[in-house]
Amino acid sequence: MHQIKRKLPGFWFTLPSLTLTVVLGVYPILWAMRFMFFDYQGFGAERFVGFANFDRLFSDREFGTSVANTFVYAGGKLALTLPLSLLLAVLLNRAFRGRNLLRAIYFLPTIISASVMSIVFFILFNSYNGVINQFLLKLGVIDDSIAWLGPDKAMLTAILIAVWGAVGNYMLLFIAGLQGIPADVYESASLDGANGAQKFWFITIPMLGPVLQMVMMLAIINSLKGYESIMVLTEGGPIGKTEVMFLYVYKLFFPISTSGSSDVQQIGYGSAVGFATAVIVGVVTLVYFAASKRLNRLY
Amino acid sequence: MTVKAYELRRQVARSTSKHRWGPGLGKLALWAFLIGMAAALLFPIVIAFLGSFKSNAELTAGATFLPSEWHFSNYGEVWEQAHFSTYTWNSAFISVFSTIGTLLIASLAAYAVDRMDFLGKKTYVILQSATMFISIGAVVLRPQFELMVNLGLHTSLWSVILILISGHASTFFILLSFMKGIPKDLDESAMIDGCSRLWTYSRIILPLLAPGLGVAGLFAFRHAWNEYILPLVFTMSQPNLQVLTVGLAGLRYGISSAAQTHYMMAGACLSILPLLLAYVLANKSFMQMTAGSVKG
Repeated sequence: MHQIKRKLPGFWFTLPSLTLTVVLGVYPILWAMRFMFFDYQGFGAERFVGFANFDRLFSDREFGTSVANTFVYAGGKLALTLPLSLLLAVLLNRAFRGRNLLRAIYFLPTIISASVMSIVFFILFNSYNGVINQFLLKLGVIDDSIAWLGPDKAMLTAILIAVWGAVGNYMLLFIAGLQGIPADVYESASLDGANGAQKFWFITIPMLGPVLQMVMMLAIINSLKGYESIMVLTEGGPIGKTEVMFLYVYKLFFPISTSGSSDVQQIGYGSAVGFATAVIVGVVTLVYFAASKRLNRLY
Repeated sequence: MTVKAYELRRQVARSTSKHRWGPGLGKLALWAFLIGMAAALLFPIVIAFLGSFKSNAELTAGATFLPSEWHFSNYGEVWEQAHFSTYTWNSAFISVFSTIGTLLIASLAAYAVDRMDFLGKKTYVILQSATMFISIGAVVLRPQFELMVNLGLHTSLWSVILILISGHASTFFILLSFMKGIPKDLDESAMIDGCSRLWTYSRIILPLLAPGLGVAGLFAFRHAWNEYILPLVFTMSQPNLQVLTVGLAGLRYGISSAAQTHYMMAGACLSILPLLLAYVLANKSFMQMTAGSVKG
């Protein structure tokens, strides 16, 4: 009895947090895991269909395309963001005049709403009168206007916008990691005649290991999940070229009438697709986790 | 090696490290790169700011950098006619209350997890970290909406606020790491003097947690202010409840047929402005937050 009494206060203090997490966080997931076995259009009768939604999922071309697009989007974003932000971090980790100002400027995009900036970018990337085309034309880099939001370039544009918003964030995470590397290591390497590139490959990268792994993990999950910016910029178009999987799930639940797909809510199928996307993100995370563990042993 | 020799080597190392950036040309290229990056990142913000003072005709024609004529009235029009006064108020409302709620609930939980022993503590912590990794996307919005209908909250912004507060896992972990930095003797001696846990929490823990609450609060506020999809879904049919992000995106499909680019630019600047001001005043705290999450 005394034991229980002693343990009660801690329970009361976490109760508000626990209640909200269970009701608004856990319950919706269980709800989806039930409805993925049903056919339900948001109103009227719900019908148990077993694994029919998953049969449909495996033959759903649109879903397949959206998964492929997600990997292109996330891969492109990571391939540009991580090296660039690491480079900036290494450069800004040294003391010089103007360093703090530069850091503040690089970090600035990360505090601004992705949806607001996507509206601005939508205007800037306009092929007919957009500032970006006019700027490039004037510089003579291009001869004709580029259809930045057309079928060929829309994904590239979406990736560039994502990189714009993410570079500062990862730069700062890398700087935090770099500050954990003792200066002595670099000093003794200099004495042994190591040059800048050698120091980077043989000291910075290995010593940054744990931080690098955590940041990469964060970056992978974030870039697979992000769809807000694309939703505002292109709504997944044109002709599905920028449709990522989380946007596809969104549209099944909340049909966007202008996008041409059906206007009927597909709760059951949407739940199945949502579950599948969670599994895909989970598998990627686990694969990354296993790979980085093996890398650890190599070093 | 003697101590003196070691000192000498360090000095040599230091003197060479001063020139790590190399002389002349290399340094110039480096500065060109750093400034080029800064220009590229600032470019869209500067263009949006300048564009917000142009007339719609000038924006549609393109071709100018500075406004040929400064239309300060764009802001007044977007504030009044495009309902941005309502949007701003709604954004402020959900951001302020969800930030307060998030900090309160997460700090209570962080206090309990760090200082008390209770049944299911481990499960609780695992549950909180799981919510940060598992995501099924927009699916959750539907059951959340149904819950709010049952609670009779679907026609008010409190539904959005409650859902924003429910996502307090990251705030919890941030506050937990700050909590570990507060010496235990302080609240233990208060408890020995007969103070209740709640008193200890509100009079001793919370004041000492202030720096943590400050940065975590900034983070939560930014998240709420910038959130788009959640308020969009909950206020689709209720324009008077819409927030800045939703209202701005709505301008793309404006009531009038012609695109109102000047309103979109001014609206975007209005939406950014509060956070921009906070960032200018407290950019160290914003950055400390991000950096701190690595160590946490």
